[in-house]
Amino acid sequence: MTTSITEKFSAIRKGLLEFAILRIVAGDKVYVADMLARLRATEFATQEGTLYPLLSKLRRDGLVEYEWRESDAGPPRKYYQLTAKGRAHLAELDDYWKTINATLTELGR
Amino acid sequence: MQKVITINLNGNAYQLDEDAYAALVAYLERSAAQLKDNPDLAEIMGDLEQAIADKCQRYLGAQKSVVSADEVRQILEEMGPVAEPPGAEGAAADDGSAGGHAAAGSGAAAGSRHDAPPHRRLYQLHEDGMISGVCAGLGAYLGVDVTIVRIVFVLLALVTKGVWVLAYVIMMFVIPYAETPEERAAARGRPFSAKDLVDDAKRQYNDFAGRHVTRREWRRRWRQQRREWRARMRAAAYGPSRWWAENVEHPPHYAMQVLAGILVPIVSVLSAALFFVLVWSLISLGTRGMVFSWPLPPRIPLWAGMLGLVLLYQLLVTPLVIGRYTMLRPHERYHYGWLAVWSGLMRVGFLILFFWLAYTYMPEFRDFMNSVPDMVRDWMGA
Repeated sequence: MTTSITEKFSAIRKGLLEFAILRIVAGDKVYVADMLARLRATEFATQEGTLYPLLSKLRRDGLVEYEWRESDAGPPRKYYQLTAKGRAHLAELDDYWKTINATLTELGR
Repeated sequence: MQKVITINLNGNAYQLDEDAYAALVAYLERSAAQLKDNPDLAEIMGDLEQAIADKCQRYLGAQKSVVSADEVRQILEEMGPVAEPPGAEGAAADDGSAGGHAAAGSGAAAGSRHDAPPHRRLYQLHEDGMISGVCAGLGAYLGVDVTIVRIVFVLLALVTKGVWVLAYVIMMFVIPYAETPEERAAARGRPFSAKDLVDDAKRQYNDFAGRHVTRREWRRRWRQQRREWRARMRAAAYGPSRWWAENVEHPPHYAMQVLAGILVPIVSVLSAALFFVLVWSLISLGTRGMVFSWPLPPRIPLWAGMLGLVLLYQLLVTPLVIGRYTMLRPHERYHYGWLAVWSGLMRVGFLILFFWLAYTYMPEFRDFMNSVPDMVRDWMGA
């Protein structure tokens, strides 16, 4: 049964990935490998091939920004953080998510 | 034995074996195709290259300097297929389909594309050519034996009273030379299907429409990088595509250069002479039923006689082709262009000389040449 549930929710998870990324970025300045590591053990486990295009879209939408930082090993990396607009958007998403959760709980009563 | 190719991933140099290189190029091209409408194409491709470079680092150490095909496949597996995020402009069309299905579909398509040989393109194949390689390239492109293309060209030249020679010269200048192993492979590669043609036209339209400046910019960078890769590939593993030239890897010695300088004209005059003899025997067989003074045995039909002549010609010309190839091949990096042009010009010169000599001193040949326009008129009339 678990496979069918994960399948059923695959589109939802895909849609929620943006939310999950905004959450991670809201916590601290992170670079892509950090994000992938944070997500690896979760339902939102993803890959560079998906993440880079998503981050570029979030940046175009003005929700995140990045800065280059030197790293101890290897070339400089892009560290992402939320913009003010991103912070506001994340708050909206949080509210909406809570509403959905509340609705789902309500419906069962 | 595998060739090693040095590549530049977002500014870092890495060494890959040949299969690894092919897999990586296929992945990057696929990714670029996925992101073709993305305004950040160049940036995302840079990010992807950097991520791949970081992952390559993991497989390299003091003892190991080359990333293998399996390791690259592993890396690309980790990278995952590149997909536009939902809601991004340009991705709206396939947004509705279930995520799992879309991913599986693109994976399968990608796999088949990677396995297929490169698309066939029209090139001049200098090493296989008599003059410049136009006929050889056309033959490879159409999947027809070179000799047939050559005979058609000679007939066209006769029928058009030499105007076709001009067409040949124009093609000589217009059709690019296959200079790298990839291009030589493309010259004989998979023929275009109708769908490929449409895709290609669409892509070209996008390029010319000028809507995607960043895409064009990226493509320019990509092409430049590929040129660089190819140059290094040639330098690293000087790749002859032929079994008989497998060991020709060293820069030519001075003696070899002198020898090539002497042998090139000899080979040129021999192959021009052979080709002339072939054409003349075919004409003579067709018009008088005899090759020089030997008549065709009565039991053998005309077409079989002609086929026999062509086969005999191929047999005689093969050592010349091999000789020419082994002579020109080691010079490629040094003065290949000069030597190839020189040998091509010499062959044109000798061919013209032979035809002129025949026209002047062989009455049968002159009669035939003069009767060609009439024959064509008869054909047209009939």
